[in-house]
Order: sequence, then C-alpha cells, then structure tokens
Amino acid sequence: MSQESSNVPQVTLTIDGRSVTVPQGTVVWKAAQLAGIEIPIYCYHPKMPPLGACRMCFVEIEPMQPPVAKPPQTACTTEVREGMVVHTDTPLVQKARKGTLEFLLINHPLDCPICDKGGECDLQDFTLRYGPGASRFDLEKRHFQKPISVSENILLDRERCIACQRCVRFTQEIAQDNGLIMLQRGFRTEVGVDPNAPFDSIFSGNVVEMCPVGALTAKSYRFVTRPWELRRTPSVCPGCAVGCNVRVDVRVDRILRLTSRTNDDIDDGWLCDRGRWGYEPVNDPARLRVPLVRRNGELHETTWDAALDLVAEKLKATVVQYGSQAVGGIGSTHTTNEENYLFQKALREGLKTNNIDHYHGRFPAASQGAMPWVFTGTITGIDHAAHIVLLGADPYTRQPVLDLRIKKALRNGAKLTVINPEPARIDRLAARVWRNTPGSEAALARALMHVVLAENLARGDMAAGITPDYRSRFQNDTPERVAATIGATADDIRALAREIAGSDGAVILYDEMTTRQPGNETLAADAFELALLTDHVTRPHAGVGPLWEDANSLGARDMGVLPDVAPGYRPIKSPGMDYDAMLGGGVRALWVMGANPARHVDPALLDKLDFLVVQEMAMTETAKRADVVLPALSYAEKIGTVTNLERCVQPLRRALTPLPGARADWEILRALATRLGLNWAYRSPADVLTEIASAVPLYAGLTRVALGDQGKRWSFAGMPEVVEVR
Amino acid sequence: MAEQMRVVTKDIDVPGIDTLAVYEQHGGYQALRKALGMEPAAVLEEVKASGLRGRGGAGFPTGMKWSLLAKGSPKPTYVVCNSDESEPGTFKDRMLMEKLPHRLVEGVLISAYATGAKQAFIYIRGELALAARQVMRAIDEAYAAGYAGKNIMGSGHDIDVMVHRGAGAYICGEETALLESLEGKRGYPRLKPPFPAVAGLYGGPTVINNCETLSTVPAIIANGAAWYAAIGTEKSKGTRIFCLSGLVNRPGNYELPIGTTFRTLIEEFGGGVIGGKQVKAFIPGGSSTPMLPADKLDISADYESVAAAGSMFGAAGVIVLDEDTCIVGAVLRMTEFYRDESCGKCTPCREGTFWLVQLLERLEAGHGRAEDIDLLNDICDNISGKSFCPLGDAAATPIVSSIKLFRDEYIAHVTQGRCPFRARELATAGNH
Repeated sequence: MSQESSNVPQVTLTIDGRSVTVPQGTVVWKAAQLAGIEIPIYCYHPKMPPLGACRMCFVEIEPMQPPVAKPPQTACTTEVREGMVVHTDTPLVQKARKGTLEFLLINHPLDCPICDKGGECDLQDFTLRYGPGASRFDLEKRHFQKPISVSENILLDRERCIACQRCVRFTQEIAQDNGLIMLQRGFRTEVGVDPNAPFDSIFSGNVVEMCPVGALTAKSYRFVTRPWELRRTPSVCPGCAVGCNVRVDVRVDRILRLTSRTNDDIDDGWLCDRGRWGYEPVNDPARLRVPLVRRNGELHETTWDAALDLVAEKLKATVVQYGSQAVGGIGSTHTTNEENYLFQKALREGLKTNNIDHYHGRFPAASQGAMPWVFTGTITGIDHAAHIVLLGADPYTRQPVLDLRIKKALRNGAKLTVINPEPARIDRLAARVWRNTPGSEAALARALMHVVLAENLARGDMAAGITPDYRSRFQNDTPERVAATIGATADDIRALAREIAGSDGAVILYDEMTTRQPGNETLAADAFELALLTDHVTRPHAGVGPLWEDANSLGARDMGVLPDVAPGYRPIKSPGMDYDAMLGGGVRALWVMGANPARHVDPALLDKLDFLVVQEMAMTETAKRADVVLPALSYAEKIGTVTNLERCVQPLRRALTPLPGARADWEILRALATRLGLNWAYRSPADVLTEIASAVPLYAGLTRVALGDQGKRWSFAGMPEVVEVR
Repeated sequence: MAEQMRVVTKDIDVPGIDTLAVYEQHGGYQALRKALGMEPAAVLEEVKASGLRGRGGAGFPTGMKWSLLAKGSPKPTYVVCNSDESEPGTFKDRMLMEKLPHRLVEGVLISAYATGAKQAFIYIRGELALAARQVMRAIDEAYAAGYAGKNIMGSGHDIDVMVHRGAGAYICGEETALLESLEGKRGYPRLKPPFPAVAGLYGGPTVINNCETLSTVPAIIANGAAWYAAIGTEKSKGTRIFCLSGLVNRPGNYELPIGTTFRTLIEEFGGGVIGGKQVKAFIPGGSSTPMLPADKLDISADYESVAAAGSMFGAAGVIVLDEDTCIVGAVLRMTEFYRDESCGKCTPCREGTFWLVQLLERLEAGHGRAEDIDLLNDICDNISGKSFCPLGDAAATPIVSSIKLFRDEYIAHVTQGRCPFRARELATAGNH
C-alpha cells in the first residue's frame, strides 16, 4: 500500500471540521474512517469497488458554487477532492439515514432475540445509532420460507437479507468461483444459488462473515451462542502454510468459530473454509487427556511422571546399548517454532544425535544451498506480478487464500500459466493450461532454461557469467524432448520461456510435495535456477519457490528439524539420518512430536521399532502403534510462533483454557530434557524465542513484542550472498 | 381534421414502406448517401445545428451528446439505440420500428458514421416482437444492399448494426442498465461517473440515443439543419411524436411541431374526452412526469413551457385523466408498475415502492388514515434524490404531484371510508 500510495498526489479535505489528507482517488468513506469518523455502510466493502446500492452512507458535501444545494451524497462512491468540505451529521444527513434504515426495516423480521447476528449486527447497531426510534410501517411484511440451505455449510434467511450484494459480489468478483447470485428484482429480490452451479467454493465462509445482518449464517454456529458470550483471541490459522490471521472465538471450553483478523500482507481479509471450519479436532471429546503406556500389547493410562520417566529411560538405554545413531526424532510441521527448536535441541544435546527430520518435499540438502529453499517473493508482491506460473501447484485446494491473491493479480492484468497433471479450478482463468505427466515439472524447468540460453534471453547478475560449460548443461533439455510429457508443443514452451524472460515480474510457484514425484528430484533447484537466469528471484512482484503444506512447514526447517543443518541452516559436520532412513529401519527408538508418519510410510515399519514415543493431540495411526503416548495441546491452547510460506513469523496466543491432562509440546520437551540431563530454565516459549533470536540469524531481533499482532517477515539479509546453486 | 406534420413519420402510411425497395423509392438512404459525402464532423455539426434534443425523455441536445464522446480511447466507440420503450404512456418507438424500420437503421448508420463507431446496437424491448423482427429484416436488407457492413456504399467505411432484444425489464431503458444488459449481465444501473461517453459498452466510449431521436436524423441530414430548426419553438426544435392515451376518443401517435398546445392535441387530434367529459388532469411526458391540472391544457408543448408549468416534457407520452377518474386509483396503478419494475439494487426504490403501494392500496380501499397522505409524501422525499438511479424519482413523481393537485381526493378516500369514484360506479351500475 505504502509503495503504491507514495506516488499518488495527496488531497486534503475537511470532514466535520477535521482536516484529513488522503491519496487522490480515495472515497469519502475511507477518508472519514482515517479521520476517525464513522459513516455507516452496508453494501460498501473496503476490499471491493464501490456499489452505491444500500444508500446508507449519506453525507452532505458543501456545494462548490453556493447556494446551489445538492441532495446528500453517498460517501462510498464519492471521491475526495482538494478543499472538499464534508458534513456527516447535518439534519439532511440524519433524515436520509433514518429514511434508509426505516426502509431496510420494513421487510426485516424482528427476530433479533434468536438471530445469531444479534449483538454484532450492523443493522441493529446502525439503527441504534442513526435510525428512527420507531417504524411508521404498519402493513404486511414480505415473507419467505425461513432458512434455506445455500451450501453444505451455509444457511440463508431471505427475510433478513438487506440485498447489499456483498456476498454476491465477493463470490463473483473476489473468489471468481461458483457462488451466490441475485434473483428476481425489486422487492422480490433475493440472494440465491444458480441451479447449474452449486455454491461449493472453498471460500464460501467469507460471505457469512461479510453479511452485515443475519441473513447468511454458518450451520456450525447456528444457535450455539450469543456473540457477547465469546472470548476473542487473535491467532493464526493452523490450516496451511499461508498463515491467515484469525480471531479464535471461544465460549467456556470450546472454539465456536474462527473469523478473519485482516492482515493485508497475508490474507487480505479472507479465510478459506478449511481454515474457518477446521477447528473441530480441538473440540473433539476424543482428544487425548492422559499419558498412555503400552503394557502387554495394550495402551494403558498412567501418570505424567511415570510416562516421562519411561521415555527418558528407554531413550537413554537405547543410546547406551546401540549408540546415538540408534535414536531419532521426527518433528512437526504443525507445532511452534519454539517447540521445534527445543525438539532438535533435546535430540542433539540430550541424545547426541542428528537423526532429526520431518515430512517435507525433496530439496537439495539444506547445507549445500547458499540460501534456504523458500519462496523468494512476498504474498503482496503477487498482486502486481505480470506473469504467474503454477508448476505443479494447486493453491485452491492446498493453500487456498493464495488462490485469491492470484485472482487479484489476474484482475490487475497478470497472465497465468498452469502446468498441472490434474484439472484445477483456476484453469478457467488461465491463459495457458498444460496437462503434464506427473514428475515432468523439473524437465520443463530445464527446457525453459534451454530456451533462455539458446536464445540469449538471460538477464540479471547471472547473464554476465554464463560460460560455455554452463550453457552445455542444458543442451539436451530441448523443448522437443519434453513437449509430449508436458502436454504442450515445443513452440508453446518456447513462448513461455520468452514470456518469463521478458516479464516485468514473474512468480513461479511449485507445491513442495510435487518435488517428491519421481522425476522431480531437482525441481526445486531447477525452478530456482530458471528464476535466477531470468532475474525473478528478488525482483519486485516476482519470486520463485515452494508452496509449503502446513502452517509451520517452513518453521520446522528454519528451526533445524533437518538432519543436516542446525537452526538457521548452519551446516552440520556429520549429518544424521533423514525421514525415510529413520523409518526404514535406521533407528531402534523413535521420538515423534506432532507428526503422523503412518500416513506416509507402511505403518508396519513403526511396529518394528524397539521403542516409539508420540506427542499427539489425538489417537492417530502412529499413536496407536506407540509405546508411550503423551497428550499434547493444540495451537489454540498455547503460545508460540509459526512461520508462513513467505517467511512471516507470527505469534499464537492462548485462546482456550488448556485441555486438562494434556500438556504443551514445549512443556513435554522441557520435562524430558531434564530427565535426559539437560538443564533447561525456559519458563515459557517467550524465553525460547529469545534464544532462537540469538541462535538463528534469520530470526535476529524477533521478540514477542516486536512481532506485534501480525508478525514480522524474516529477510534474506542474514544470509550469505547467492553465488551458485549447484 | 387537422393535419400532422410528418418529418419522422414521413410516408408512414405508404404500403410496403417497411421494405427496402419502397423505402428507397421514397428517398430512403439518400440521407446516408449524403452523410457519407460529408466529413463525419460536418454531419455532427449539422445535427448540432438542428437543435435536435433527445426524445427518450431527458431532452439532452443530441449533437452535444455525440461531441462529448471520449477521444483517443484505446477501446472502440459504440452507438447504441435505446429502443427499450417501456414508460407507461409511450408507444412511438414501437410504431417507428414496426412501420419505418429502415428509417431507424438509416439514422443509426448516420450517427455511427458521424461518431466514428464501427459497431452499432439496437436494443429493443423484449416484448416488442414484431418491432424486433421488422428491424432485423431491415438490417438484413440494408446489409444485402450494401448500406451496412463492410465498405458501406463504397465509402470505405465499415459499420455493423445488430439487434439485441431485452428480457423484459423497464430498468433496462435506463442507459447504463441497458449497457449491462447488452453485455449479458443483470440489468442493474451503473455507477456514474464514468459516463457512457467515456466508458460505456465494454468500457468503450458509447453514445446512447433514443429510437425516435435516431429516426429523426435522416430528415435533418436530407433537408438540412436550418430546415429542421425552423420547426418548433425558439428553444425546442422540430416535431415530436405525441403518444396520446387515456380517456380520449382517438388515442394514438401524432407527430406535431413542438409548441402545439396540449388542448389542440387532445381536442383536435384526439377527438376530445370520451363521452364529452372534462379533463381532470393530464400527464405530459409519460407516467414518470408530474401530472398537470386541466387549466394547463393551453400551454405550449415544449421543453421550457412544460417545465415552467411544473412538469417535464419527457417522452411526450400524454395521458389524459377525465373528471371521473380516481386519482388515487390511477396513481396506485402507476406505483404498482414502479414497484414491479424497480431493479432492487438500491434500498429506497426497492423498499419504498413496496411500502407506497401498500399505503395506496389501503387508501383506495377506504381503510386509509389522514396521516397516510403526509406519510406518502415523506416516503417519496426519502426516495427522491436518495435512490441510485432516476427510477426512484420517477416512482415518487405521480404521488407527490397528485397530492399537490388533488389532496382533497385523497382526504375524501379517508373521510368517506371508500373510493368516491368506485362508489359512484357501483351506484350507477345498481340503477340498471
């Protein structure tokens, strides 16, 4: 925002006697908001273009040539101009607002006492502040059948609808996905669903949050509470690597809903349904509450002390008997940075092993690269990208809110290329869609480099240093060779290469798990090198890198939950075993924190272990095979930090009273570390973060205070210069 | 019987004038030929000099409208003919399209040439099936004869003309809703600015003219601006097709010079009120213009005089209400129309018209209260100037103007507890 607005001329106007200076093109409503003056709105939404439909935001603007008085104007559609004098509280404005509210209420049922929105309803609030005390309408209201289902998760009460079109416009203009439409006209107007296109968008929940009244309600939230009974805590969605900011609304001991806590740099104010309604595991009555120990083949309840003693004893015994190489740990892409940091520290210092890893995509050894494998651009940078290439990535299903960013970029004129073995929803909006054979993405990246080199299109720092040797590396990667597996012609591939090479800003994204496809062993490096050759690594509105799977996938790497690097990607002299090696019989005792390897490997492999300890919230397939199960807390019950896919470190706050009996992973780790002979004095994750900030250069200076509410992005400043990729 | 002045409707009664051959025999497409021999700017100047004002209702000078088109837009310029004639009391465009389709096509082609548009659309009200068929046939004939399409009349200019039929919404007569509809979207009016002249159809500079306006253009080009400007009054030039309806003996379309009095129109052309009754009131420009009392019948029917009398010339849809017409009932009928045709986009129009109809129903049924009359006025005040587009203002107009003129009638409905006119009707019926 600041980048864009700095070039725009500023305009100074007066609103209710207060002088306010805003960029040209700002609407009066926004200027008033900046001046701290409320102007009521329904149809207007700061994330969408003005509509001017609800006629609520009337203000009086002094005429340029008095005494020609003008009728009140709508503040959401009127752009500011220099010297404008605006009044928001004149008799004319008061009457106009009263008039609109009276109109809205003539057909609005007075079922506030049972309406889920009651207490946080804009119609209630604005009526109280600006409305008439009583209605003069004493005739027959319009009636509709009470709530109808518009989607799997959402109900619509058409009587309550004030036809502001926020929901319809969101689905059509922002989500650009199957959604809601306006039906009928005039007083018969209603919101509805196109019978040929069910409202099955993964972004559907946003319409519930945007609805200014109780017309659209979530089935999960219906009649479960009144809003004033909720305790609201800022947090971060645990659903995926985007790290959308959420507010966790809790009543007594249950999460009742997540709502957006707008962070323009990350989520732009939106959530996906997976994140919004994915809180049930936290509330699940079947969650683990008591430590379990296997006796005679069955898991039995035990005390924390007994369980922890047993774990420490077994791990130590394994080391004594078989050496440090016989133990290993699998860390988590869901737990916090602090916990992952402590996890690797406990293993490295307490058990003297580097057998540490987590489930992740295939990247060249972290110790070999000069920089971490990470998206080099920013989420907001995507907004103004000229070209976007999805190379085996489907954000809509995997990192959904990023899909909205891509659509925003498309609205700004970006050109999208989708290379994906499977059809994806975004295909419809793409300029190119190539159905490739799984595992051919890396070969495509090399073919693109072949074209760039063959046609002398390289730019940036790399261009000068291209040697004949280097050139020969991609000699055989001709577009002709890969065309068939890519589902495009060689000319198509050449066209894409030229486009990327000439682009003002190309964003090249691949899903981290795409790198696991046989054939894609070098995808991460190849994609990076392609961006390097075409100068898109650090260019504004450009970038290359993986889209991670989980909320703290990047954090786990940053914290050194990897066999070959310590926290901050510091290389280790004697790397340990990786994920597959540990599970494939490499270790005898395995310590698992917040991970479920049974999903990825043959569960029978877990049965072969001498000893398996699992820290987990629920009885997963892995926990079922454990010798000791230690009940852990969810993201909502503890503090800590997580790092999203664009390197933004964000704080979690305790939203929910911890489940009795369960403990936070960091507490479990601290207790075990003590039993392993380590002298840890951490009082809370905040102490751990302090240590991380000094031990991990990328996280230097990060304290809970510095992170504020919306986190801080670590930069490449602490990294060595990029010199060479391979 | 007095004679009409046939400028736009010239030769309308000639058999077969709707075919190209007959139209050509009567000078058809000569104006286009003449225009193509002129510079586009000269054609525009001619229209400007003629003083022609838009016949759709707003009366905006046509030449000026064309000259406001944005220059240098990267997007194409479009000409759109608004033939979505839906205002209660108007039926002139329908007649022009049904009987003189080639004149409209010729006018459209000339305006496209003058404005530099290569594509013109004629947006025809969905219900006017015959009109649409006639215009489409005329376009086909014009293409076949080389008047439309590529290199028209060997001039090197390409102009395509296409008919788009509406889907049955009054709101699509509002020019920006029309553009939305033309683009295949729901007929909601657009936010202005940008105005269509800057960013209209598909974002291109767009001129939107009424059917009668464009049908007038050939006569202006053929006979010259001076000839046209000599007709009418000093400020309101030319002729208008008056759509005379209501309780008159000979309702219909009458093309007369602007400045004819309403009395002449009603008495000489319309044959007076049925049964020799008195005029109680008349609506001069279509139902969305304020009604005027009988003592205004002698004013000159031109933009300025009608405005001075407190109404608007509008689309010249003259509706006559006789002495036995119940004003409340008539206004109720009009308000129902606006309620049903409100697009529903903005709150005051959507909800206000719903409320107004219920109140008027109550009054007409004799269950009204004295305070309902002021309530009607206040609701209208909350709609007028507060709604998104002029439809809301239009809906309020019949009510506000009728209460101003005939408050007594409203009060009578309340005090008598029934409609005085309905009661009289019933009494008369009982005598038989």
